[in-house]
Amino acid sequence: MSPSTGFASGSDSGGTPGSGGTTGSGGTTGSGDVATSRRPGPAAPLFASVLGNFALLLVITLGGFAYASVGSSARDQLITEMLISVVLVVGLQVFMGNTGVLSFGHLGFASIGAYTASLLAIPEVRKHVLLPDAPFGIGNIEVPVFSATIIGIAVTFVVALIVGVVVARTNGLAATMITLALLFMVDSVARNWTDLTGGAGNLGSIPRLEGRVWVLVCAAITISIAAAFRFSPIGRMAQASREDDLAARAMGVNSSMVRFVALVLSAGIVGLGGALRSQSLGTIGPSQFSFDFTIIVIAMLVVGGMQTVSGAIVGTAIITFGKEFFRFLGDGPQWLGIDWPQVEGLPDFFLAAVLLAVLLTRPAGLLGAFDAGDLVLRIVRRRRMKSTALLTPSAQPVRAPRAPLGDDSLVAHGLGVTFGGFVAVDAVTITVAPGEIRGLIGPNGAGKTTFVNLVTGLVEPSHGEVRLGERRVGTTPTRVARGGVARTFQNLRVFGGLSVRENIAIAGLVARRHRRHRPAIDADALLAASGLTAFADHPARALDYGNQRRLEIARAAALRPDFLLLDEPTSGMSDTESAAMVSHIRGIAEMVGAGVLVIDHDLGFITTICDHVTVLDQGRILAEGTPAEVKTDPAVVAAYLGSHA
Amino acid sequence: MTEILQNLADGLGAGSTYALFAVGVSLIFGVMHLVNFAHGELLTLGAYLAYWMLLREFGWWVVVPAVIGAAVLGSMSIEFVAFRRIRGANPFTLLLTSFALEVLSHAVWKVFVSSKRKPFATPEWAFESFAIGSVRFEWWNIVAFGVAVLSFAVTAFVLRRTMFGLAVRAAAEDFDAARLMGVKANRVISGAFAFAGLLAGIASSLILMRKGGAEPRMGADPLLKAVIAAVIGGLGSLPGAVAGGLALGVTEVFVRDLLPEDLGGLTDGLVFAVIALLFIVRPQGLFNVETAERV
Amino acid sequence: MLEVDRLTTRYGEITALHGADLRVDEGEMVALVGPNGAGKTTLLTTVAGLVRPASGSVRFCSANITGHDPARLLRAGIALVPERRRIFKDLTVGENLRLAGTTVPSSHRRVRIHELCERFPILGERVDVAAGYLSGGEAQQLAVARALMCDPKLLLLDEPCLGLAPAMVDVVFELLVELRDQGRTILVVEQQAHRVIGVADRSYVLRTGRIVAAGGKEFADRSDLFASYVGGAA
Repeated sequence: MSPSTGFASGSDSGGTPGSGGTTGSGGTTGSGDVATSRRPGPAAPLFASVLGNFALLLVITLGGFAYASVGSSARDQLITEMLISVVLVVGLQVFMGNTGVLSFGHLGFASIGAYTASLLAIPEVRKHVLLPDAPFGIGNIEVPVFSATIIGIAVTFVVALIVGVVVARTNGLAATMITLALLFMVDSVARNWTDLTGGAGNLGSIPRLEGRVWVLVCAAITISIAAAFRFSPIGRMAQASREDDLAARAMGVNSSMVRFVALVLSAGIVGLGGALRSQSLGTIGPSQFSFDFTIIVIAMLVVGGMQTVSGAIVGTAIITFGKEFFRFLGDGPQWLGIDWPQVEGLPDFFLAAVLLAVLLTRPAGLLGAFDAGDLVLRIVRRRRMKSTALLTPSAQPVRAPRAPLGDDSLVAHGLGVTFGGFVAVDAVTITVAPGEIRGLIGPNGAGKTTFVNLVTGLVEPSHGEVRLGERRVGTTPTRVARGGVARTFQNLRVFGGLSVRENIAIAGLVARRHRRHRPAIDADALLAASGLTAFADHPARALDYGNQRRLEIARAAALRPDFLLLDEPTSGMSDTESAAMVSHIRGIAEMVGAGVLVIDHDLGFITTICDHVTVLDQGRILAEGTPAEVKTDPAVVAAYLGSHA
Repeated sequence: MTEILQNLADGLGAGSTYALFAVGVSLIFGVMHLVNFAHGELLTLGAYLAYWMLLREFGWWVVVPAVIGAAVLGSMSIEFVAFRRIRGANPFTLLLTSFALEVLSHAVWKVFVSSKRKPFATPEWAFESFAIGSVRFEWWNIVAFGVAVLSFAVTAFVLRRTMFGLAVRAAAEDFDAARLMGVKANRVISGAFAFAGLLAGIASSLILMRKGGAEPRMGADPLLKAVIAAVIGGLGSLPGAVAGGLALGVTEVFVRDLLPEDLGGLTDGLVFAVIALLFIVRPQGLFNVETAERV
Repeated sequence: MLEVDRLTTRYGEITALHGADLRVDEGEMVALVGPNGAGKTTLLTTVAGLVRPASGSVRFCSANITGHDPARLLRAGIALVPERRRIFKDLTVGENLRLAGTTVPSSHRRVRIHELCERFPILGERVDVAAGYLSGGEAQQLAVARALMCDPKLLLLDEPCLGLAPAMVDVVFELLVELRDQGRTILVVEQQAHRVIGVADRSYVLRTGRIVAAGGKEFADRSDLFASYVGGAA
């Protein structure tokens, strides 16, 4: 299948088809003339999401009323229970959905918030009876429910700050195990610090909530915070890290920091949820925050889809109402003219079956990446399009702007690394001048990728250093990226689940803060130059291979780098596609004002695009010069073909 | 001194059962990169089978092989029915699916049998003890440890001497290279699940002889301990799983002993605190050697 | 004996082979060379059944073997010595060999291992040593010995000289010639293009997933060969 069939030809660096070549700045939401590729500003998706999700919640709540009025269930309790679960699940979503880390420990935070709030709010009189030996003088304090809840959240925040420092550094399984440990530690303390918590049994006399509005307001606030976080810079960077942690760091994202913020924020929300729960039940006990309940909460999140707030809400609703229905059924009622038998355990069965079914058929959850806000935006857009009479045809296709070059060269000086006894790279010095395109080639095992990893901070050098002018470039991928060297990966690491536009925007976020001294790069122009405008809102993984490669380059370019480091950009491409990449990469580099160091095995590509070429063999520089010089250098030929005549 | 020896015996006894489950968890992880949270349900399966059989006056001599057989078949069925479909999925989905299976199993027993505990008679020797000098040892601990040691010896034999064991070890190291040697993927994975089931069945028999009852959720706790033990040892490392299981058992007992009377319940919490500390300091587990991620 | 016809293999989005054609006749040694990333390994792993092609066919002794799994191919007489050897470091030399004999009846297995240890004395000496301790050259011998466990008619070798010292490279080339003289058919991918072309009966050049050149000893001219590596407007 031909690579560019039906899609915008990828090689143009200037004019583009499709979008009509606008420089839409992606900022304004005001009315006025309608340029063609107008996007609502960054605030719009957020408002849409809050609005949409709040509407969703209302619909579900009303639906719940209707449902509850049919059966014999306690109507108030069900709705309240659901709304409180929404707080808990959406709180969990803030962490799990944005970071992709499975956390078993969030009910531990809920427990802390709940106990703090409850212990403060229990009337003094009752406390003397229930907790005669309460430490910290708690027995003599009585705080109104509202303030107690606030304090509960605050205490949860503090604990989360401490725990977060630890969890945020780790990833994957280790992080999950630590959260599991947290859950059990909190449970253990709750069960055993009898003086403070009343032990394993339930502690009563907790002031109950008046009415449901309180809970609804909390749910609404929670939704707003979660939606806000999802669209905030930190939230978005967390999502990038979720998609591909290494690539995110290579784009200058501080993964640990964003995970930390997500954890602390979600802990506070879950702390609120815990407090609400105990208040609504009127009692508190360790069993409310058990591993079992953890699984229920996780199931609610996963069934709906953990990526969005809507997913959390829908999953909660499905499971809450589903469980209630099966509880009703299991009681052996008379329904639809049938005498149903009394069966125990149906709600659990339902939960497990739904969870399993979703995981086996739609692992991303029922809603996947869909959010109620998307629906709102679609409706708004349709309205807007109806109200505009003409689309202003574009004038000339806009010529992609050229940024000025930086002043400093990128110099890797005497860079080398030894693994065990093996010298992978041996004191290599390479200089890339501003605006230059230098190739790095060499036979298999020459050390090219190791060299790139050394420069970009993925591997610690045994000797040598990398400088940009006077400055040392940095020792971690994040610092290197912020320092002005942006890379692409041999194995193609785009943020698959994020849209094409968002991939580029993430780099833009980092650039806005850390690369302010370089001229801003227009995202739409980059998209246009890469031929990706038509796919701007598609998820990156849906693109074909060539377009994903170009996206990766565009993303690196959006970082406003001084130098682009491209690792096998034509890998897997045919000769035609590789030839197209020559002009494409040149165009992007000019647009951004960056020099380029490109590694590739496609010698035809290298000899065409590069100003100069360095040849590595067995970790050392074998030859340097123009492509013509290098091609005819007998040492180079020998390195590739073998030395025996 | 007396106390230390007794505690050690207790710890090794309990730890032996953890280790048997943990080796199964690590074995499955080695060939499939899946942490099998449904593994503990084999205990529950065995328990209800034992209940059923003992009710009909079968002797433990028959019950034990039955429990083991059920565990093997159960384990293979789980693989065939659920995990085979999602073999290449990402770790998150795999983990949650095994979770969902665990929860489903709990629910199934609740629905189709009862949520109440079904007691059955335990053999007398399981609660008897004997003395050497001033030290009292419980027979069960000795037997558990002995059986575990024997099982691990057999496991080691199978892994080292049989073609099947060879295939499993090779597949755990490099699955595709093993296929290249002519190893059949399905066979080695089914076989790993079967073997894990065997070890689980042995551990279950031991546990049930003391437990004396069947309830829907009884598999959860041993499973958790097994996963923790396996992860401590480094997922995929069988010696690590053994060490992790035994260490966990012993640590539990000693922590409980060291704590003042009224704080005895904090054992679990403290053990978890130690585990958390371990993961902070060494995220990859004690024995595991992580391969570098290809960039 | 081996016919590869318009073979196309994809890894997700990447097309690694774009309709490659080649042919190996019985008793021949055929070399496959080309720059990295050209798809040489993909071609071999597709023929060896590790990867299923998207289209095209592979025929062995006139039988269609496209998409058959490695176990079946081993029984038919095709064995692959993979790139970077991929020996099992945690298993001993002897265990590596035994495992490679999975598809061989157990009585034959022991005999073969014995024979191979005689042919490769180094392996015989280290039969109980964990394979992770072998040097590069020794590991390569083990990798070849493993492939020989099934007494294959067609032997595929992927860069057998990768990472070896010059002396060991000589040993490998001698081995190749010996194997061909024994009557085995060989398809070998090599970085040391010039040398392997000199030894082989015929050669193909693969670049960006396609066969761009084929011929015999005339490839001895180095600059032409390198030009085909670079391709395009050289």
